[in-house]
Amino acid sequence: MKRGLITWDKTELPPEVFQRRLVVVRRVLAERQLPALVVYSDLWRSNEARFFANYMPYFNRALLILPVEGMPTLLCGLSPRTYRWIQSVTPIEDVRPAGNFAKPLGEVAAERGWTKVGVLNAGQLPYDLSQALHGGTVELVNVESEAVFHPANDDHEIAMRRKAAAMARAALDEELPAGVGKIDHEFVGQLERRLRLAGAEDLVILLTNGDTAPGPAHGKKLQEGYSVSIALEYRGHWVRMSMTEAFRNPELIPSGPPDILNEPVHEALSGSYPYECGHDEGFSANHQELYDHETERGFLMGDTSWHGPKGWEVL
Amino acid sequence: MLNTERRDQYVQLMASRGWDHLLLYGHAWRKDYFRSLVNFSFFGPHAAATLSKSGELSILASHPWDTENLKPIDADITWNGNFNSALKTLARPNTAIAGMELMEARFVEHFPSPTSATLAIEELRRFKTPEEIETARRAAHLADIGYQHFVDTAKVGMAEYELAAEVEGFLKTRGVEHNFMLIGSGGTEVYGMKPPTDRRFQKGDSITTELSPQVDGYYAQICRTLILGEPSENQRRSFEVFREAQQAAEDFLKPGVNIMDVARVQNDIFRREGFGEYTTSKYTRVRGHNLGLHPDENPYVLEDVDCSVGKGMVLIAHPNTYLPLAGYMVFGDTLVVTETGCERLGKSEKKLFWKEA
Repeated sequence: MKRGLITWDKTELPPEVFQRRLVVVRRVLAERQLPALVVYSDLWRSNEARFFANYMPYFNRALLILPVEGMPTLLCGLSPRTYRWIQSVTPIEDVRPAGNFAKPLGEVAAERGWTKVGVLNAGQLPYDLSQALHGGTVELVNVESEAVFHPANDDHEIAMRRKAAAMARAALDEELPAGVGKIDHEFVGQLERRLRLAGAEDLVILLTNGDTAPGPAHGKKLQEGYSVSIALEYRGHWVRMSMTEAFRNPELIPSGPPDILNEPVHEALSGSYPYECGHDEGFSANHQELYDHETERGFLMGDTSWHGPKGWEVL
Repeated sequence: MLNTERRDQYVQLMASRGWDHLLLYGHAWRKDYFRSLVNFSFFGPHAAATLSKSGELSILASHPWDTENLKPIDADITWNGNFNSALKTLARPNTAIAGMELMEARFVEHFPSPTSATLAIEELRRFKTPEEIETARRAAHLADIGYQHFVDTAKVGMAEYELAAEVEGFLKTRGVEHNFMLIGSGGTEVYGMKPPTDRRFQKGDSITTELSPQVDGYYAQICRTLILGEPSENQRRSFEVFREAQQAAEDFLKPGVNIMDVARVQNDIFRREGFGEYTTSKYTRVRGHNLGLHPDENPYVLEDVDCSVGKGMVLIAHPNTYLPLAGYMVFGDTLVVTETGCERLGKSEKKLFWKEA
């Protein structure tokens, strides 16, 4: 759950960045003769709304309405008491309360004379919300994500992910050697403290001594050659990284050519979720396991890559 | 990892409702329906556990490492990165789904005439098993020591997010799985809590927090207010209203009473003091809520929620709201309903915390 620093630094992401992204949305909408695009967001599926408005509902749901004409609107499940905070992290000025989202969406549509709106990935709306919106007064038209959401072609997105990757790499480089002999919880606590002080918004940390798949800490002592896989979110931008302590301890690495035991795990980092398995043409994380048959131990490594003009580049 | 008591309850529920299959769905934020049966914190975006009416279990995960971690369970376990297409193969007739409302609409559309089991499962989960209560007790202990660390660490000049990072590190080191935490700081201009910002604490600040450590899946919560410097008369007076309101709920809570009255007894204290308008949704959200595998479970403690209290419920009573005396203030503790009343699981002092600044 997000409990790190959620903020909007305008030197990192100037308001013009969001304006440029809005221009793309407006062009697609105009081509499809749609007056607005509705983008769903919640605590975990916030990537897309974040891309267009830097808004992440830390506890609730929201609908971002991006119109062809006029100002965007945010329909927000959070109380108006939080609007001052919301307006400090997003360029959206028109923030409105929404319990049942169908009614306020209908009101916005009525105000602006819309009879239909586009919905980004309509099939991925939560079922109850989908039912409510379909039962409302406005016709919903699906707009596929690929039409408007291209984080891998956006210099600011790449830069933010580079920062996230640098943050994760620096922490693992320094902390990994000190983890040997510690209880996994202790190591996780140390990483959490360090990375959140550095500005990480959220973290998922998985560990293994090489005899199991990586998993959450559960009170196990970390042995020489252990591996860590970390998902780190920096201001809405996720990266994944896996590293093994064995690379600082060469005698643990198999002397002969190591086998690749499992198919590499590919993770997509551009989609609706912070990370999910699958192939991604923009940002991808690949985790590879080196397996030593003699000791029956695996060693994990992996990084986040960006597919740029020169091919895949590790961030 | 497998909650066999819940499995038996769910099989009985299926028999009584005539359901052939029960699917417990979870996604990255709401794992609670899934975890009520299979208590593993999966890290892929989705997971589903399907129980047959004869009690056989199958699990569909969306990440290969989840599948490996789930192996100790006696179940048919598969994974597929394309959860949507894999779920299609589980879409059998007469399936009831717990968490259906949270599922992506395209997932639900695979099922012929799906039935929601969400409410029925929630009603069972509301009453904790003795083992679940012991886990909540451990979480409440961590909330206590986590809050003490919060108090010890907070100082003038520190940023909200820095304090949150210190508490996060402290709790994770001690085995906490997750921690739902909100924070607020300042004076009468503060109307609520939110994620931590880069605001730096000042002398005289009221620092509010809701700490909710999760241990083996189960959350406990503590709400306290800390003043940097000696509290002002208004801060002390304001806190007394909150203390009395929370105590009223604790004194009132027992099997058979209604949740709406647990809210009413708290709000009555505010009304008596002339602060009735600050018990409305303009200034506050709820007067408490149930706790379990999600940090904000039904029923919400509100005067329009009709729900009978029963033994084994674990909830927090927190009359958190804005008052013009000293701004937003919070105060609350995790309570378990016993045979004759309730027990406070945490041991933190019921006081307005303050430290020299």
